[in-house]
Amino acid sequence: MPSAISLRGVHKAYGRNTALDGLDLDVGQGEFFCLLGPSGAGKTTTLKTVAGLEQPESGTVSLDGTDMTGVEPYDRGVAMCFESYALYPHRSAYDNLASPLRSPRYKLPAAEARERVGAVADLLGIGALLERPVGRLSNGQRQRVALGRVLVRPARAFLLDEPLSHLDAKLRQAMRAELKAIGAVRRTTTLYVTHDSVEALALGDRIGVIREGRIVQTGTREEIWHQPYDTFVARSFGRPRINLLPGTITRDGGFVSADRFFEIPRITPAPGPAHSVRPPAPGTRVQIGVRPRDLSLGSSVLGPGGIELVGSVYITEVLGRATEVTVRLGAQHLSLVVPRADAAGLRPDAPVRLSVRPESLLLFEADDTEGPGRPGRRVTG
Amino acid sequence: MKRRLLAIAADGALILYFVFALFPIAWMIILSLKPPNELFSTYFSFAPTLDSYRTVLGAGSDEGVPFPRFFVNSLVVSLGAVGLSLVIGLPAAYAAARWRFRGSENLMFTLLSFRFAPELTVIIPLFVLYQKLGLFDTYVGMIWVLQLVTLPLIVWIMRSYFSDLSPELEQAALLDGYTRKQAFFKVALPLVKPGIAAVSLLAFIFAWNNFVFPLILTSSEAQTVTVGALSFLGGDRPKYNLTAAAALVSVIPPLLLALTIQRYLVRGLSFGAVKS
Repeated sequence: MPSAISLRGVHKAYGRNTALDGLDLDVGQGEFFCLLGPSGAGKTTTLKTVAGLEQPESGTVSLDGTDMTGVEPYDRGVAMCFESYALYPHRSAYDNLASPLRSPRYKLPAAEARERVGAVADLLGIGALLERPVGRLSNGQRQRVALGRVLVRPARAFLLDEPLSHLDAKLRQAMRAELKAIGAVRRTTTLYVTHDSVEALALGDRIGVIREGRIVQTGTREEIWHQPYDTFVARSFGRPRINLLPGTITRDGGFVSADRFFEIPRITPAPGPAHSVRPPAPGTRVQIGVRPRDLSLGSSVLGPGGIELVGSVYITEVLGRATEVTVRLGAQHLSLVVPRADAAGLRPDAPVRLSVRPESLLLFEADDTEGPGRPGRRVTG
Repeated sequence: MKRRLLAIAADGALILYFVFALFPIAWMIILSLKPPNELFSTYFSFAPTLDSYRTVLGAGSDEGVPFPRFFVNSLVVSLGAVGLSLVIGLPAAYAAARWRFRGSENLMFTLLSFRFAPELTVIIPLFVLYQKLGLFDTYVGMIWVLQLVTLPLIVWIMRSYFSDLSPELEQAALLDGYTRKQAFFKVALPLVKPGIAAVSLLAFIFAWNNFVFPLILTSSEAQTVTVGALSFLGGDRPKYNLTAAAALVSVIPPLLLALTIQRYLVRGLSFGAVKS
C-alpha cells in the first residue's frame, strides 16, 4: 500500500530564506505522525506544502500514491488546523465549524450538518459556545473550534499545526490524552506538528525530527529515544536534557573528558545501520551522552561492567517526587534525576559517587565535526 | 490663573480658525439668499429670498441653464465611476496584495502615478481621442475618464486592507472545500466591508468634485455640477446668487453619503492602524 503522505526531495524558499531543503517524509496509512522541531525549522511549511497552499520549487508531494503537483488545495481532500486558528472572525463558532459542511465539496443537508457540528462541539467541550462570535472566545476555545473545523468533515489526512499549544497546561494534558481516542483521529492519517517533545512522545506512532528544512531522523519513540541520530535529536527529547560531555578517545578505545578529569575505560557503541558513523580513531574529539534518569547515586545498583564517576554536588532542585541533582565533574556539569529520598542528605560541594550502566552511554562525534553549527552524529558499533 | 488664561487663549485661537474656515461657507449661504439687486452690497441686512434655489432647481424663471440635469449627470457619472472602479479595483487590489511577482510594485506605482500626474497633462490628447471615438460629452466617456481618479485610490487603499487580512483565512477556506473565487467572495470580501465603504465615499467625493475632465470633455449632455454651476456666471452679468445656490445644492449628496456611512467610515479609516 502506498504511503498516505509522501514528500520527496521537497525544496521551498521564501526569497533568500530556505524553508525546506530537500525534505523526504513518509507517513503510513492511518498513522499518527508527529513532526517535531524548533521554530523556523520548516514544520508549518511542510504542512502547507502537503495541503497545496505552498508550491515547492522542486520535489514531489503524493497522497495515497498520487502525485499532487498542480492539484488545488480543495481537491486534495486534506483538512488542516492552523496554528493561528484562521477562524473566520465575522462568523459565529457554529458557522466556523459548519463551514466545510456548506462548501460545494463536503456539502451535507442542513439537518445532518447541524447534528455533525453538535457532535464534534460536544466532543471538544464547546457545545455551549456555538452561538458566540469567535472574537468573544478565549484562545483555548478558539483553538478547539479550529480543531473542530478539521474533525467535522471526512478527510484523507489531518494536518494539525500545534493544535494544543495555546491551551492551558491542565486542558492540554487532558486534550492530549483524548485526541488520539477521537474516532476520526484514530481512523485518519494524521500529520501533527509540535515543538513540544513530550507531546510528540505521547502522541506519535512515529516521530520525525526536523531541523533547517530537513528530516534528521524518523522512528518510533523508542528508536528516537535510544538511538538518536545526532546530538540535536538527543537534546530534543527529555527534560532535564541529556548530558553531553566533551572529550577524546584514548589509545585503548576508552574515553577521557576534555579536561582529563575523568576517564571511562571502555566504550562499546551500540550497533547501528551499516552506513552510520564508525568508531573513531584514538585522539578524535567526541561526546558522551547520558540521560539524567539513567544515572544513579552511589554504586549500589552497579552490576558487572558498571561505570562509576566521582564528583561533587553543585545544586539540587526538588522536582516533586524526584530531585534533580547537578554534579560537578571537573569543568563539566552533569544532571541526574533521582528519587527524592536518595538526594535528601546532599549538600553543595559534598563529594558524590555516580554510577551508570555502560549500555546507557551514547557516543557522539564532537559538534561541528561536519561543519560549523552541525550537531555531532551518533557513533555506532 | 496662568493655565486659565492659556485655555482662554487656545479657545480664542480655535474660534478665530473656525471663523476663517467657515466664513466662505457662510458667505455662500448669504449670497444664495440675496435678491439680485442686493448682490453687490456688503451689508449683512437684506431681504432673504429662496428665488435663487427655485431658479437653480428649474422651478423659477428660466435662465437657460438645465441645472437639475447637471445634477443627475453628476450622480450618474460619479456613481458609475465608483461602481466600475469597485468591480475592477477590488479583484485588482486583492491580487496585488496576495500575489507578488516581478514588476508588481512597478505596476502599482504606475497606477498611482495616474493620481499624482496633473490631469492637465493628458487633457488635450484625451480631448482629441474622445472627439474621434465619439466619447465626447457622453456618460460612458465621463465614467471612463474618471477611472483615472477613482481606480488608483480604490486599488491602493483596498490593497492595504487585503494585506492586513491573514492569507491563512482564505487558505482555511480552500481546505474547507471552497474554490479560490468562493474564498474571495465568502471570506476576504466580507471582512473588508468597512474599507469598501470608506474608500467608496472618498472616491465618490473625488469624482463628484472633479472639474477639469467635465470642463474639457463635456459640453451639455454629460456636463456635471462643478462645471454647470459656473454657467450662471456667463452672459451679460454674472449671477453670483445662482452660482452660490447651485454650489450649495451640489454639496448635498456627498454630505448625505458621508453622514449615512459615518459609522463605517470611522472604523474603516482607522482599520489596520489599530490591531485588535
